Amino acid sequence: MSDDVQRVVLQLPASAEYVDIVRLNLYGIASKMGFTYEDIEDMKVAVSEACNNSVLYAYGQDDGLVDVIFEVGPDALSIIVKDEGESFDGVDSAAERTTLHDKELSDVQVGGLGFYLMQALMDDVSVVSEAGRGTVVTLTKRLHYSEEKV
Amino acid sequence: MNTHKSEKFHAKTKTEGSVCTVFLSGELDLSVAPDFRLVMEPLVGEAGLDLVINLKELRYIDSTGIGILLSILKARHGMDVKFIVEEVPPQIQKLFDMTGIAKFFAPQENSH
Repeated sequence: MSDDVQRVVLQLPASAEYVDIVRLNLYGIASKMGFTYEDIEDMKVAVSEACNNSVLYAYGQDDGLVDVIFEVGPDALSIIVKDEGESFDGVDSAAERTTLHDKELSDVQVGGLGFYLMQALMDDVSVVSEAGRGTVVTLTKRLHYSEEKV
Repeated sequence: MNTHKSEKFHAKTKTEGSVCTVFLSGELDLSVAPDFRLVMEPLVGEAGLDLVINLKELRYIDSTGIGILLSILKARHGMDVKFIVEEVPPQIQKLFDMTGIAKFFAPQENSH
């Protein structure tokens, strides 16, 4: 109680079919907290990308698990996506985070947009990956109370 | 597994003359990416068709879906044939703008 943060914990099979379940839970929690439609849509994309990475890269087998922890604070929501897979592929390489803005179509690589989207859509993103010990992605979005509508 | 059918991904193909339009609905994510590829595979190589993807009823797309659109774009561009993405909902347009894929969807830029 002291830090005013409450946790909702979800554990799912590391399978693409369950990523929509994370989105449904996110929607419930974020709308209850008072986030705008646009903020919720942003978070849906970012969280799904984090889960996709766990599903795609972190696990070779079918029996892996992904933990999703929603930390509900007084003025922010943090979503922690945690797996125990081998590692993220190329998580630190700059190429993973680039966009297509200054590229010609012939130079464009398919893929690699997931990390960029997480960073562009959230207020804070941290990725901690340790060889053999899995990856923890923390995504944070702050609530904005007093913003006037444009 | 899919208990919330309204969000379920669906692709409907309609061909009129030389224009083939694929109408997408629901959520296009990693789990249905293979289904979407399967629908598009036979159409992408059809040089005699103008290929259109309509996103009016699409509720959600992730980087996997954007990646597939990009590979179709590259294939069609390489064949020098038409590929149009139309009726993009605002929240999806935002992702197209952010990632930079939007500029490749502008019809005017297809010709050079």
